[in-house]
Amino acid sequence: MKLVGKFVDKHGAGHVSLRPEDDEDMWHLYNLIQKGDSVRAPAIRRVQKTSATGSIESQRIRLNLTLEVTNIEFSSFSAAAEQSSSTDPSGSNNSAALQIAGRVISENPHVKLGAFHTLDIEANRDVRIEKADGWDSIALSRVNEATVPGREQKLVQSTYDPRHSPDIVPIPRKAAASGSSQHEKALTKFYGTLYDAFIRHIPFGNVGLKAIVFASPGWVRDSVYDYVMQEAGRRGEKVLQRALKEKGVRIHISSPHVHSLVEVLKSPEIAAQLKETKFARRGITLDKFHKMLATDELRAWYGPDHVVLAADRGAIGTLLISDELFRASDPVTRKKYVALVESVQQKGGDAVIFSSMHESGQQLNQLSGIAAILTFPLDVEVVEAEEAGR
Amino acid sequence: MTGPSTPTKLGMNRGPSTPARGIGVDQRTLDLSGLNLTEKEDRSAIFEEAPKTRFARDKLLEEAKKVIDSEGTERKKEVSLVVIGHVDAGKSTLMGRMLYELGRLDEKTRLANERGSNKAGKSSFSWAWSLDGTTEERERGITMDIALQSMSTPHRHITILDAPGHKDFIPNMISGASQADCALLVVDAATGEFEAGFDRGGQTREHILLVRSLGVSQVVVAINKLDQVQWSKSRYDEICDFLRPFLVQSGFHPSKTRFVPVAAMQGVNLVSLDEDAAQELRQWYNGPTLADHLDQLDAPARDIYTPLRIPISNVFKGSTSGTAVSGRLCGGVVQVGERLRVLPGDETAAVKLIEVKDESVPWAAAGMNATLYLTSIDPVHLNIGNVLCPPTNLVPLATTFTARIIIFDIQIPITCGASIELFHHSRDVPATITNLVSTLDRASGSIIKKKPRVLTKGTSAEVQITLRTQSLSGPFVARPIPLESFSVNKDMGRILLRRGGETIGAGIVLEIFG
Ligand SMILES: Nc1nc2c(ncn2[C@@H]2O[C@H](COP(=O)(O)OP(=O)(O)OP(=O)(O)O)[C@@H](O)[C@H]2O)c(=O)[nH]1
Ligand SMILES: [Mg+2]
Repeated sequence: MKLVGKFVDKHGAGHVSLRPEDDEDMWHLYNLIQKGDSVRAPAIRRVQKTSATGSIESQRIRLNLTLEVTNIEFSSFSAAAEQSSSTDPSGSNNSAALQIAGRVISENPHVKLGAFHTLDIEANRDVRIEKADGWDSIALSRVNEATVPGREQKLVQSTYDPRHSPDIVPIPRKAAASGSSQHEKALTKFYGTLYDAFIRHIPFGNVGLKAIVFASPGWVRDSVYDYVMQEAGRRGEKVLQRALKEKGVRIHISSPHVHSLVEVLKSPEIAAQLKETKFARRGITLDKFHKMLATDELRAWYGPDHVVLAADRGAIGTLLISDELFRASDPVTRKKYVALVESVQQKGGDAVIFSSMHESGQQLNQLSGIAAILTFPLDVEVVEAEEAGR
Repeated sequence: MTGPSTPTKLGMNRGPSTPARGIGVDQRTLDLSGLNLTEKEDRSAIFEEAPKTRFARDKLLEEAKKVIDSEGTERKKEVSLVVIGHVDAGKSTLMGRMLYELGRLDEKTRLANERGSNKAGKSSFSWAWSLDGTTEERERGITMDIALQSMSTPHRHITILDAPGHKDFIPNMISGASQADCALLVVDAATGEFEAGFDRGGQTREHILLVRSLGVSQVVVAINKLDQVQWSKSRYDEICDFLRPFLVQSGFHPSKTRFVPVAAMQGVNLVSLDEDAAQELRQWYNGPTLADHLDQLDAPARDIYTPLRIPISNVFKGSTSGTAVSGRLCGGVVQVGERLRVLPGDETAAVKLIEVKDESVPWAAAGMNATLYLTSIDPVHLNIGNVLCPPTNLVPLATTFTARIIIFDIQIPITCGASIELFHHSRDVPATITNLVSTLDRASGSIIKKKPRVLTKGTSAEVQITLRTQSLSGPFVARPIPLESFSVNKDMGRILLRRGGETIGAGIVLEIFG
């Protein structure tokens, strides 16, 4: 996302203009914009004009509208995927939609003040946001995160999962009464189909690409890699051959399901390339939390009430919090969590914000969206009893 | 334990929605007995069928009952056996050699395998080639998927499911184990090898727990490669002594557990102990051979009166027409000419032909491994993991359900929200533990704690599980899978939970919420 302009004073008043480019950006906007904010974005409006001759003409015009937001909706068909991913071969990368509804609050020759309007936020069009309650630290850091160049979302450009692709033929298992010949035949066909799909879905010619990952349990990844390599040789696909040689990485994962993408991103081969990114940090933090839960349950707390208690006692070393909690429709709730993050940071603790669009964030959401690794052990039940006794 | 000799029954202390179940008493760790129960099922209201076929159905059940009852007298008893154990223990070699000894492998094929494996520089896998049939398996010397074979001992007809030992292929091993009544555990006696297979991360331990959780209650343990340890009796005893308590803890009754010393490659003590190669073993062993043990396996109870359920484990093209599907019948009887519903989905198919043990038969009953040739259906609707059932008695479809589970020896505890893989017969789907309802006393099943924060190793618990969407793109909502509560159909109500390539728990389905 491009930062077009930012005018925010030290009290948080002011506006920020952003230009979204892809799904991940829509997600950022969805998390930034809240009810009550004023948002200025382009809209298309049909206007009727009476011409000099008296006939009525209908015309579509593009105009900027400013709305006071009453509702905001995000929908995506790939939100279950780790990182923003696209199976759209054109690379347009847009399967998410963001819709904002509200009343028009700025004068406009074509639209009445106070009229109700719905805006579809479009890629590559500027959106200006002014926050009703001012810009808090979480919102500002989200703007920063979303607009730094070369951010994480580009790490996974495209994913292709043959198990759920309509072009892939089922492979009979070897135990068939007819023997293993059907298995072998289908396997060969599978590799062939996979080659075509690879060409269509993986932008291997893209120079910015760092790695082309083949991941599977067993040895399928090797067989597929070898086949694609061989076939590229046979067809004289020089670019593909080179890309495979230079960027092909084969990674073992324990299951073929989507969530094993986490294993890919944690593998030493890929982690080295991701080291400094937020993603790696989130994955590692969530792992740390789980390990702490296993070794010292008294230092791994989760659930909003418990975590707030731990924060009150200055016990939080690392706070894990999902962006979902900041999206609360009730501004008081959001403020509570913003204050929590700030207080943890003030006491020298770490606050890691997870994105619900990613696997790690979804896992944290299931765990109530908030968890903490404590610097010293505290017994939840004892603390609760003490609180109740106050 | 829930062996027939100790039928301790407690229970009745759960909510009204959960039917009472018998629960074995054992305080030891990892007791799976609570998941494998031996009570009789309630047999009622199953004769309801479309009027058109009612008469025929009555006769069919009568016929099936007659044939099944004659098992053991007029006919050999039928059992299916999954061969399990750590990678390279010698499972396929043992089965290949066994097939040969029992005359199921002809000399010509044996020679071809010998020559082929020699040429591939894998001569030690010559026997395994009878089961390791794919190019990839032969090249790597590793079994990757279940091989299906059959053999006969004097009193048994045995369907063999040779499982892969490598941990990446456990999904296939599970698919095989869920079609079996008994297990043959093969362990490598060589120094250090048995230990490697039994340690954390070794498959000996995991396979034992898996088959037991899937309802297998008899196991024969073949201590293999004794030639590698100079036929040492003390090594044999050491391994038996080590495994015995673990098998008991895992829920195998000692009366259903057998040990036998063998050397698969040389064919020692498989069918006889008479050959020269067996000379050293004869010094201290004159007990039953492996074949003797297999000849005494108990046949499963065949519940032909419950509604028909066939979880599909394989789909392939029929040789003449139609699509072939195979799987083990988890209840009921199926006959040629019947129409079956394919779940999930709206399609039905007609049964054109049924094969059991490579023979065409008019019907197949619960507990049999059958291949059905289906017509009047587009093959795209037939997939591994689908379940076939009567159109009038459908299997419920589930995306959210509760289960009673036992947590295995895991290092990272299970929290609410944990991502897991759910295994049910030949299907595995991503799922989330959406609610930790309570931890339960392993012995009595009574609630220890409601809404626990975490589940650690060895605990028994009631949890809610919700399926996740399977693909990167596409709808958010997961596609439901056919599932039944354990109280309705045991074989349809068993589940396994895995995470990161490790089995973390096993359980039974309590209630399905849709
Ligand atoms: N010395 C000796 N070697 C054996 C014996 N049985 C099997 N082997 C060897 O052990 C190796 C593995 O044998 P397999 O039969 O492929 O083992 P497996 O358990 O089927 O292996 P997976 O299916 O891949 O898990 C082969 O090289 C066999 O020759 C035996 O009795 N003695
Ligand atoms: Mg094998």
